[in-house]
Amino acid sequence: MMKRILVGFLMLVVAISAVAILLGGNDEPATVRITVGGTTVNEIPLSSSTLPKTITVNGKDEGENTVVIEEGRVSISHANCPDQICVNQGWITDSTLPIVCLPHQVIVEIVGGESSGLDTATG
Amino acid sequence: MASTPQRDSLKRLTLCALLTAIALTIFMVEAQIPLPIAIPGIKLGLSNIITVYAVFVLSPKEGVMILFCRIFLGAIFSGQMSTLLYSGGGGLLSILVLIGLSKILTQKEIWLASPIAAFFHNLGQLCVAALVMDTVVVFAYLPYLAIAAVVSGLFTGLCAQFVVARLPETH
Repeated sequence: MMKRILVGFLMLVVAISAVAILLGGNDEPATVRITVGGTTVNEIPLSSSTLPKTITVNGKDEGENTVVIEEGRVSISHANCPDQICVNQGWITDSTLPIVCLPHQVIVEIVGGESSGLDTATG
Repeated sequence: MASTPQRDSLKRLTLCALLTAIALTIFMVEAQIPLPIAIPGIKLGLSNIITVYAVFVLSPKEGVMILFCRIFLGAIFSGQMSTLLYSGGGGLLSILVLIGLSKILTQKEIWLASPIAAFFHNLGQLCVAALVMDTVVVFAYLPYLAIAAVVSGLFTGLCAQFVVARLPETH
């Protein structure tokens, strides 16, 4: 009798987990967020009919960063900073690693979507 | 030679030490095997064959001692002291559940006790993670960890079942 209850418990755990995995995941659409010096200056959904789109972001120290947003990916194609780290990073497709232009304090990041920001905190 | 109480307890201590060494060896060997899944907290947990065996065949007390010695030594030997908190929390919750299960299940049903204990191990681990990172978002991992726990728990449970069936009952 006890055995049946425990087997039932296990099957329930697996069933609930499977349902949670199947239903969960892509609940909020991915959005590109552009911040300068910590304040959000622009938010664009990563999948919309107006894409591809190119915007120029005015950063600190008269900085100009050209952000290119395409279906599902974003990059900085041009920047008038000396090191060009943000340009060389290329395209990003998820929230794991944002594009940062340190001299202009510009951050281009993807929020929401499939990977939920937990990728940086592992035990 | 006659069997005295002193001799018996010495024999038991040696057995526990031996089991801890076996568990630690399995743990270290398993740590070298890369896993194709990139979710932290998921692994086979083969050393829990020893844990389950100890709780069911020896005694709950000895099971606890072997488990925590193995967790502590494993963290030192693998050089990952930061995981001590997680495996300690998970280990504590799972061994409590396991001891409870050993009271209501027979030695022929070890295969069932192991996946349940494994599930509570991952639950305990997530609770510690939630406390350490101060966020409940980590529970989003629970469905994945639960399924992984049931699969790996069944495997280690069956292994322990075979071990118990093949060892002579000398204790």
